[in-house]
Amino acid sequence: MFLRMVIGAVTRQKRKLLMMAGAMALGISLATAMLNVMLDVGDKINQELKTYGANIMVTPRGASFLGDLYGIEEGAGVSNRYLAEDELPKIKTIFWAFNIVDFTPWLDARVSVNGSEAGVPILGAWFRKHLDLPTGESVDTGIINLRSWWDVRQGWLKDDDMSGIMVGGAYAATHGIHQGDALTLSVRHTSGGERTARVVVRSIFYSGDREDDGLLAPLALVQRLTGLEGKVRRVEVSALTTPENELARRAAQNPRTLSRQAWEVWYCTAYVSAIAFQIEEALTDARAKPVLQVAEAEGAILQKTQLLMLLLTCMSLACSALAISNLVTANVMERGTEIGLLKALGATDSQISLVILAEMLIATFLGGAFGYAAGLGLASVIGHSVFGSAVSAKGLVVPIVALLILLVTLGGSIPAIRMLLRLRPTDVLHGRGAS
Amino acid sequence: MLVALLAVVIGATVFLGMGAVYYDIPRQMGREFRSYGANLVLVSSGGNSVLSLDDAKRAIALLPADKLVGASPFRFETMYYNRQGVTVVGADFTAVKKTSPYWQIQGEWPQKDDEILIGTDIAEHTRLYAGSFVTLDIVPPKGRKISKELRISGVVRTGGAEDGFVIMPMSGLEGIMGVPGTANVVEISIAASGEELSRFIEVLQAESQGITPRLVKRIAASETTVLSRLQVLVYLVTGIVLFLTMICVGTTMMTVVMERRGEIGLKKAIGAGNKVIIAEFMGESTILAFAGWLLGIISGYFFAQIVSMSVFSRGVEMPFVLVLLALVASFVVTLLASLIPVSMSTDVEPALVLRGE
Repeated sequence: MFLRMVIGAVTRQKRKLLMMAGAMALGISLATAMLNVMLDVGDKINQELKTYGANIMVTPRGASFLGDLYGIEEGAGVSNRYLAEDELPKIKTIFWAFNIVDFTPWLDARVSVNGSEAGVPILGAWFRKHLDLPTGESVDTGIINLRSWWDVRQGWLKDDDMSGIMVGGAYAATHGIHQGDALTLSVRHTSGGERTARVVVRSIFYSGDREDDGLLAPLALVQRLTGLEGKVRRVEVSALTTPENELARRAAQNPRTLSRQAWEVWYCTAYVSAIAFQIEEALTDARAKPVLQVAEAEGAILQKTQLLMLLLTCMSLACSALAISNLVTANVMERGTEIGLLKALGATDSQISLVILAEMLIATFLGGAFGYAAGLGLASVIGHSVFGSAVSAKGLVVPIVALLILLVTLGGSIPAIRMLLRLRPTDVLHGRGAS
Repeated sequence: MLVALLAVVIGATVFLGMGAVYYDIPRQMGREFRSYGANLVLVSSGGNSVLSLDDAKRAIALLPADKLVGASPFRFETMYYNRQGVTVVGADFTAVKKTSPYWQIQGEWPQKDDEILIGTDIAEHTRLYAGSFVTLDIVPPKGRKISKELRISGVVRTGGAEDGFVIMPMSGLEGIMGVPGTANVVEISIAASGEELSRFIEVLQAESQGITPRLVKRIAASETTVLSRLQVLVYLVTGIVLFLTMICVGTTMMTVVMERRGEIGLKKAIGAGNKVIIAEFMGESTILAFAGWLLGIISGYFFAQIVSMSVFSRGVEMPFVLVLLALVASFVVTLLASLIPVSMSTDVEPALVLRGE
């Protein structure tokens, strides 16, 4: 009997229930899209923030930072310590290897160009180096990704190009150097020897920073010129990180002060300090330091964005839940006559409530299922048009959405049903009371 | 009727709330991005690397004050610690806190002229920490070598060049080295990106003397990229939420009107014309739309305020255009949503409607 009544009601009231299912589908598609985007926005924004460049700097232990802000003070505190180039692939084997997006070694030197006396700064780096890792994977990494803001008009160098260099915009302008010019670079060593290399200017670059006053070459070329084969001065690492919290700050000061449990939590979370610590473990005599300018700002922006999306999601969910439960109430209220009739025929209150609730739930869940599918579509539209990659569908969204439908339907229908049940059948049937 | 009103209120709330947040995001997020530090530096345009602070001040006055987050001058000098050269930076710490909020200090910021910060690399190397005293040898441009005892008030950690510097108050450095009112660079953090920033640079270049503005390309270019992505994200999300909410409100309104088919039939049966019925429903919808809009303004403002306060800790402005747009939207949605079912019902034979078919 119950089943027959429900089926009967669903088929007879097709139009009204369809409308409600439609509204539910809209609301749920909104919820699904917002929730999926919200849960994924952290990863996506994190990827975007990688355009700011490296957030971890690795230097040899004991060497103080070759620090010259804006090229004002040069050569302060340089000591002859280096990192070994062949150890660098190990960076991609640490616990958080998957979070290491890019890295590149740097080696700096001063060369004389075409026999001039003044030392011109030259930087050697990987451009897009192909590395085969001990784990069997392979990566391509280098400054082409890490310096995305550089303006390079004639293309970057190749790593195995031993006779090509790039020239900074400012240096090229003051010395009248153009693409295609041939230069002779030479480095005089303290031991008395001199190494020279004949190179061709492949392109001019504009960095907007002090690199504009110098030259840029493949790492191997600078190593050969300086006689520092297999050595690098520092390594820049760009990693995806979790915003820092109190624990991470304490660990950053000194990881050894943490309790065993806290230490494990810290080590197994992608804090920038934890990743830096793991890089130190992987390389011999290395010191890895988070570049706070990038790391801190990244954390701040990530948190703000996530919070913003979370609040927007909650607010819009609350509004659409209210709107839909409003509709459900309207739908139930309309059926005063039906309830009166049922009561007159001797149905108990619980029977009536069950029938109505069952109908409502069937309609809303059907609508919700459609809405979920549509919402996934919407989420991927957002993902593709904003970030150029799909927003992954999170399993967590399904129970949240199901709970939402249940709450909205029950919250919308129960008060209305209770109100209608309180009415006397005769009044309702006569057309008074309700609505 | 209450159901319909509630629907309109919700629609107007979402419209105004999301609209205000969307309108405000670029400004608010732009401020957040300033935690990356300076996006513009002023350097000397002359041959030597020293610029006059008065010139810099005149240049900064050309920038809009409400967009300027901070401007901090830096002066670089060399002093000697145990005959080893160290770079000593003169800085204005109140300005540094604004332009470079990422500096982490163990200890305290210097309060007096003879207090200094040392970089964490120096601290580790020399085993000197906050609270200890250090003697630096100084060779001023004029005069003989002097020694000065300074108190370390804190250790600064940035992961950048500052880790290897000694940093002291500008006034303290001026007292030792002489030549007050000069700096090597002035870092400026300004809440602008892309074209707006380039425009500021052009203005500075054209109208100021003695200084050259330089864009910190790394910060400025990246900010433009990321900020535009964020804007598109909020734009799309707002668009989708608005669209779906409007449809939702529309459906609710339609259901409410559909319910009144019996009433329409009855009116027709006693001789009302289609036009009269439609006009009556339109009148009701107008009142509904207007009342819903009024209530929606209040709750929409709270919606936006809550979001903005908890994310950016700043209040939100409700642009007047948006309020007017919300009125238009609530009228269009309400009128359309009642017009469709009413005109459908008026075509029906009254007898059939009244019988409930």
